[in-house]
Amino acid sequence: MRHTRNAVAALLTILAMLLTACSASSGSDIAEAGRPVHLTFWSALRGTQEVVDEYNRIQHKVRVDFQQVPSGAQGGYAKLSNAARAGNAPDVATIEYPQLPGFAIDGVPRDLTELLPQSVRRKILPQALDLTTLDGHTYAVPVDIEPMMFFYRKDVFRKYGIPVPTTWAEFASSARKLKKAQPRARIGSFFTNGALHMAGFSWQAGGQWYQTSDDTWRISMADAPTRKVAAYWQHLVDQDLVRVEPVDSQQWRAHLQSGETVGYTAGAWAAGSLMNSTPGGKGKWAIAPLPQWDPAKPSLGTQGGSTFVVTKDSGHPKEALDFITWMVTSPDALRAKLSSGVSSAYPAVPSLVPVARKEMDTGYYSGQDIFGLFQESAKLISPRWKWGPRMTSTITSVEDGFAKAGAGSGTVIGALREGERRTLPDLKSLGLSVTTN
Amino acid sequence: MSTVISPGKTRKRAGTTPRTAGRTRPRRAGRRQQTLACVTLLAPFTALLVAVFLVPVGYAIGLSLFSEDHKGLGFGGGTTVFTGLRSYLAVLNDPSFVSGFGVIALYCLIFVPVVVIGALALALLLDSGLIRLRRTAQMLLYVPHAVPGIIAAVIWLYLYTPGLSPVIRLFAQADITIDFLGLHSVLPSIVNIALWSGLGYNMVIFYAALQALPREVIEAARIDGAGGLRTALLVKVPIIKGSVVMVCMFALIGALQLFTEPMLMNQATPMVNSRFTPSMYIYDAAFRRNNYGLASAASVILLIVTCALSYAVTRWAGRRERSAR
Repeated sequence: MRHTRNAVAALLTILAMLLTACSASSGSDIAEAGRPVHLTFWSALRGTQEVVDEYNRIQHKVRVDFQQVPSGAQGGYAKLSNAARAGNAPDVATIEYPQLPGFAIDGVPRDLTELLPQSVRRKILPQALDLTTLDGHTYAVPVDIEPMMFFYRKDVFRKYGIPVPTTWAEFASSARKLKKAQPRARIGSFFTNGALHMAGFSWQAGGQWYQTSDDTWRISMADAPTRKVAAYWQHLVDQDLVRVEPVDSQQWRAHLQSGETVGYTAGAWAAGSLMNSTPGGKGKWAIAPLPQWDPAKPSLGTQGGSTFVVTKDSGHPKEALDFITWMVTSPDALRAKLSSGVSSAYPAVPSLVPVARKEMDTGYYSGQDIFGLFQESAKLISPRWKWGPRMTSTITSVEDGFAKAGAGSGTVIGALREGERRTLPDLKSLGLSVTTN
Repeated sequence: MSTVISPGKTRKRAGTTPRTAGRTRPRRAGRRQQTLACVTLLAPFTALLVAVFLVPVGYAIGLSLFSEDHKGLGFGGGTTVFTGLRSYLAVLNDPSFVSGFGVIALYCLIFVPVVVIGALALALLLDSGLIRLRRTAQMLLYVPHAVPGIIAAVIWLYLYTPGLSPVIRLFAQADITIDFLGLHSVLPSIVNIALWSGLGYNMVIFYAALQALPREVIEAARIDGAGGLRTALLVKVPIIKGSVVMVCMFALIGALQLFTEPMLMNQATPMVNSRFTPSMYIYDAAFRRNNYGLASAASVILLIVTCALSYAVTRWAGRRERSAR
C-alpha cells in the first residue's frame, strides 16, 4: 500500500515537472499575458505563412499554427474533409468559392451569421459576401474576388493593327485578323480543363447553373445564356481561331512564351501569375476588361478567389473569426501577403485596393493602373450566380467532356450537359431536393 | 477442375481410389480425428475469410443502407439515417457508373481472347520443345508478372507520354506520329499493360497443365500420324480445357476490378476520366465526392456482378464439359 502511494506521488511529481517544462518552452515572453489560445490554420494560398507570422508578431493573445496544404481536390480539400469527418478539422481553413456550398452541406464550416459583425460585413464587396451566404446564412468570409479580365500582348496587337476587343463579336473578328496576319499566332485558348472559366463566361452572359428557391436546388447547366456562350466557343474551336489546350500546361506556357498565343482570359489574380511564369514578357503584356456581349449592359463573372471559414470543430470560434477579420480587412495583413512575392489577387474589401495598388510594382504591364482596372471590373460582377453542392466533381465531369470535345469527339455544350447528368445522382443520394429545368 | 478427363480414351485412370491409412483403427476415433483435422485446416481460412471478406462486405452493405441524409438545400450538415435503397437507385441511374461496365466489356473483348490465345500458344511452343533454353524463356516471360502493377503502370506511362517517351521519339524520327493516350488508343494501351504482365503468368498455368497430361496420349496421337500442330490443337488443348476456362474466369474477374492502370493514366490523359471503370467510380465517389453511401452501394453492385459472372462462366463451362462426355 505504501509502495503504491509512493509510486503515485513520484509519478505525479514527474508529470508536474514535465508540464511546467512544456509551458515554459512554449513561450516565455508571453507568460504574464496568460496562456495564449492556439488556433490551427490550413491554407493552400501562397504567402499565407508571412501573414500568419505578422499576426503572431503583433499580438500575444492568440497563437496561430499554420500548415500549408496542397491545393486542389486531391490535396487540401480531401485532407479537410477527412479531418472534419474525424472531428479534428483545423480552426480556420481556406475554401474557394465553388467548393463552399459542398463543404457547407457536409457541415464543415460554422455558421457565422450571428458572429460576423455588421461593421465587417459593410467593408466587403456585396457580390463576394453573397457568394458566401447560402440560404441566408453566412458560412465564410471572402478574402479575394477575381473579376475576369483579358490579358494580351499589346506589342503584337499594335504590330498587326488589331483592335483590342471590347465585345465578343470583336474578339472573334480580332482572332480572325490575327490568324490572317500571322498564321501561327492565336488570340487565346479554349481551356480543356477550364470548366471554371466556362462558368465565368456563362455567369457574365446571365447564365445560372444553379439556383435555389423553395428549398430546392434548380440545376440548368445548359440554360439559354450558357448555350450561347458554348456555341460561341465551339465556333472559335471549330474555326481554329483559338488554341485548344489545358491551362497551366507546359504547352500552354510554351505558347505564351514563344508569342504564338497572344492573349488569355482569367481572373484578376492571373496578372501576378503571368509575371512569374513569363518573365520575358515584361513590357509586352497589357490587361483589358473582358469583352462584353452587350456593351450597353456590361456584366462580368469571376474566375478564382478564396474564402476563410471557421470550422464546426473549432473550440475558439471568436478568436478564429477575429483572426480571419484581421486577415481580410487589415492593410498589414495585405502588406505581409504581398511581401512574399508577386500577387495580384483583388481584395474582397475594396478599401484595401489603394494598399495593393501602392505595394504592387506594375512595371511588367508598363505601369498600367491594373488595380484601378480591376476595381472597375469588380463593380460589374453579376450578383445572381450561385455555385452548386458538388462543384469539384461537376467540374471534373465537364472537363472530361471538354478534353474530348477538344480531341474532336463531342461538343462544348454536350460536355456541360454530361456534367449535369453526372452530378444529379450524387445530389439525389444525399437526399437533397433537386430539380432540373 | 484440373483433373479433366479427355473424352473417351483414358480408361486406365478410373478406379484407382486412394487407399485410406486408418482402416485398421476403430471407426469413431478416426472420425473424431478427421473432424479435428478439418477444423484445424479450415480455421485459418475461415478466420481470414470472415475478417477480410465477410466483415467488410457486411460493413459496406451497412454503409450503403445507412447514409448521410439532408433536407432541402442541405446546408449545415446532415444526419446519418436509414436511407434504404436510395444509394443503389442513384448508382444505377448514374450514366458514368453504367458506362464503366461498357468500358470493361470492351476491354474484356480485346484482352481475354488475346491473353488466352497468346499464353496458350506460348505454352504449347514451350511444351513441344520447339523453343530452346526452355527454362530461360519461361523465366523471361514470367518476370513481368513479378513487377508490381503500379510500377509496371508507371513504366508504361513513361513510354506512352509524348515528350518523355523514347518510343514516340523514335517513331517521330521516322515521321510517324503515334498517340498512345488518344481517344481511341487509350484502351488498347491499357490492354497492352495488362498483357505484358498477364501473358507469362497465364502461360505458366497452361504449361503446368500441359506437363501433367499423360504422355501416352501424345504418343498415341503421334503413332496415329498427327503432326506437332495437330497434336497441339486437337489433343493437348482439349485436355487442358479446364485450365483455359479457369484463366478466362480469372481474366474476367480481374478485368472487372480494373483500377491501377487506368487510375494512373487518369493523371496523364483526360481520355481516361475519373470514373473510367467501376472500381474508379467507387474511388471517385468515396474520396472525391465524399459520398460513402454511393461508394458502398456501387461496391456491392460490383460484387454482385462479379459473383454472377463467375458463376455463369463456371456453370457454362461445366455444362459444356458434361455435354462433351
